[in-house]
Amino acid sequence: MSQTTLFEQHFWKESNRNLDYYLQSMNGYQAAQKVLKEMTPDQVIDEVKKGNLRGRGGAGFPMGMKWSFIPKNSEKPKYLVCNADESEPGTCKDRQIIRYTPHLLIEGLIIGSFAIGCKHAYVYIRGEYVREANLLNAAIDEAYAKGYLGKNIFGSGYDLDITVHRGAGAYICGEETGLLNSLEGKRGEPRVKPPFPAVSGAFGCPTAVNNVESIANVPHLIRMGGDTFAQLGKVDKSGGTRLISLSGHVKKPGVFEIQAGSMTLRQIIENLGGGIINDKKLKAVIPGGSSSPILTADEIDVVYDVEPLMKVGTMMGSAAIMVIHEDTDLVKLLLRITKFYAHESCGQCTPCREGCHWMESILHKIVHHEAKPSDLDLLNDVAQNIGGKTLCALGDAAAGPVISFLKKFKPEFEAYIKGQNKYA
Amino acid sequence: MPKCTIDGKEIEVKPGENLITVAKRAGVDIPVFCYHPGLTVVAQCRMCYVEVEKMPKLQTACSTMAAEGMVVKTQSDPVVKGRAGTMEFLLLNHPLDCPICDKAGECDLQDNSYGHGSAYMRHSEERRTYVDVDMGPVIEKNMNRCIHCTRCIRFGEEVAGIHEMVAIKRGNNIDITTIDGNPLKTEYAGNYADICPTGSLTLRDFRFRKRAWMLKKTATVCEGCSKGCNMEIQHEGNVIYRCVPRENLEINKHWMCDEGRFNYHYTQDPTRVLTPRSGEATIGWENAIQNLKDLTDGKKITFLVGSDLTQEELATVQEYINAYQKGSSIHHFGTDGVSESVDDGQADKILKMKSKTSNLSGAEKLGIKSISHLKTATDVVVVIRGGRADLNVALKQVQGKKLIGMGVFLEKEISTFSLVLPGLAFTEKEGTIINHAGIEQKIKRAIVPKNTVKAVSEVLMLAANKKAKEAVV
Repeated sequence: MSQTTLFEQHFWKESNRNLDYYLQSMNGYQAAQKVLKEMTPDQVIDEVKKGNLRGRGGAGFPMGMKWSFIPKNSEKPKYLVCNADESEPGTCKDRQIIRYTPHLLIEGLIIGSFAIGCKHAYVYIRGEYVREANLLNAAIDEAYAKGYLGKNIFGSGYDLDITVHRGAGAYICGEETGLLNSLEGKRGEPRVKPPFPAVSGAFGCPTAVNNVESIANVPHLIRMGGDTFAQLGKVDKSGGTRLISLSGHVKKPGVFEIQAGSMTLRQIIENLGGGIINDKKLKAVIPGGSSSPILTADEIDVVYDVEPLMKVGTMMGSAAIMVIHEDTDLVKLLLRITKFYAHESCGQCTPCREGCHWMESILHKIVHHEAKPSDLDLLNDVAQNIGGKTLCALGDAAAGPVISFLKKFKPEFEAYIKGQNKYA
Repeated sequence: MPKCTIDGKEIEVKPGENLITVAKRAGVDIPVFCYHPGLTVVAQCRMCYVEVEKMPKLQTACSTMAAEGMVVKTQSDPVVKGRAGTMEFLLLNHPLDCPICDKAGECDLQDNSYGHGSAYMRHSEERRTYVDVDMGPVIEKNMNRCIHCTRCIRFGEEVAGIHEMVAIKRGNNIDITTIDGNPLKTEYAGNYADICPTGSLTLRDFRFRKRAWMLKKTATVCEGCSKGCNMEIQHEGNVIYRCVPRENLEINKHWMCDEGRFNYHYTQDPTRVLTPRSGEATIGWENAIQNLKDLTDGKKITFLVGSDLTQEELATVQEYINAYQKGSSIHHFGTDGVSESVDDGQADKILKMKSKTSNLSGAEKLGIKSISHLKTATDVVVVIRGGRADLNVALKQVQGKKLIGMGVFLEKEISTFSLVLPGLAFTEKEGTIINHAGIEQKIKRAIVPKNTVKAVSEVLMLAANKKAKEAVV
């Protein structure tokens, strides 16, 4: 099936990021003009709802719905915050958008801000994206110079400012309330929900937090209309296309774009990734960023979208696929993943602060042949005591891989304990 | 009113009440660490799990608002397992040094561990340890015992109005400390020890002096200022070991200042005058009463009463003057700069009042005028004070007069007195005081006074008796 793509054709050429290219080759800022001049905020939200655009950050929450939660009659200012923290290991799609189509993001921010009544939008970009932050700021300057940002945009009387805020390199600041705390200059720790950001977000005001890819899809959606956008998706409830970050043991890793739900995981690996490197056998796939439960080689004939993946007990997350071939030591891989979450735990809530480090210690013992057979049950039990019990989703993110690795690849762990692992 | 069900008990709920409050009213105890009724809810410790019907995951009771029709279980298997999991996590790095920890016996971590934890430990790795910073004169820190509940951080920010405690680093290495390791500055530091659910922050003044379970507790009111904060005197063997605040949402909520907390020390000062004195000489009560009579009988006298005395004591003095010292004057004194209650007001944004005596309003209610209205004093002046009223305020008005003191004095305060009749401190008597807002409260006797000191009423009664007897003869 030939794929309709919205982003991919504009990637990899540096000159594409300029405003001229955007205006000439991508119908730049026409959607924003149409929205500001011809549409009401409710119409915009309805159109986005029609387009079945769901969040691209990880949870897959319908974006129109999220925007409709922002109270209309609140006297407080409202904020649109773009989550460009892109910190889930394996994910690098937002970086592509910021690098090559930054104006798409800016136009999306204009439309989104108009829809929720925001006069000041923020882009919270991860600290490591130094170049991307500079590129984005340069694009924003271009937009200001043309009058696409600032006062009275397109003569519509609508004002909008955009501020790019750089993070300091914490995974947890990709969690929306952790991000808001960090944006406010506080410690990057997730907040108790409720209240949800739609009610009390940035600076205590109603706030929508959306992923870069989600926002960058909005101009496309407005240009082609919600119905057409929805039809791009090949499964229910998912419209548009998905950017996939494919990494690991494939011949051709990279960022690819597919129509939502149009391919199975196997097709993605074989057709887009060109198969397994050195023609090795596939062992496992982590389908949605390092926090998603692992799939075995037999489980990958599943349509790659939110609901189908949920049905097989994992998740699409940020659409970062990590492919693992037969020579990989999964115990060491799990140690590495767990080490990441232990390192990135903010430390405010008990199970995550204590448990992630404990899981790391147990895995460390296993890898160094110091563990007892009972340690595997202990490890599983600790993960169960973290999963679903923490304040934010980081606990689940840390527990998910441990539980799924142990469930699906237990013999490898047992071999380590017996001193018989073949990778030593 | 909406109703919800907790462990099968139906109970009415008010809007905005969380499940911990509602459960408490239903007689169901939910264990907590980070939750404190006087602080914001952060749901960090993950101890107060409950199961709420129709919700897929366990919920934290502190952050879940009760709602109509909610069905809550606090003892189901998932809840029990969840709490046991949290307890296990909290104890991974806790030193379990209860035998040498001052908090033992009143420690939330210890109590909840008995109630919800396991007696066995599955963790065999090395424990996390910290180097402690000096927290200043009030609080001693032991970070190894900390469970990162952040009550102290929130207390500083939300109640004491000072951002001095912080969390630094993250994850397993998180450290709860002061900004730049500086000592605490707040004048409410004692509360840090009260709200700490472990022995991480303890009172330097109290530590290693008495085990918590040996203390007897007397509910009383602080005499430190006109606020009237409710407090508890904790004592054993007739010795006070510490004072802690008692909850009174109308007055002091859950808190008290350090000045009030440590105020009791003067009552146990080794230099407190505990026997009657005539000049420098110690005399017996028989002679002391005789001296009092000799100095005052038949004269008009200036009586100066501290606004730290109770209503009962002040009224007794008034009655005595009416019956035995006709024509004498009575004026109250207390704090430099606060001669009347109109001068009183908040000394900070938290609890402290400008009037450093507890019963200024009460003295005024009895019709006693301030010492600022005293024009000329008589040759003999009787000064009666509870122990807190500022003597200098009284003495500068009556320089060169013959002074008789009644009440609580330290050695260094009596050099200008001709006669001193030692009395009861606020910890040793009962009575009524009225705070700045007109709220009447009772102080309670915690300590049995030495048999060489006498209450104001007793001294005046003895003096009256002596006068009456001699009149008959």
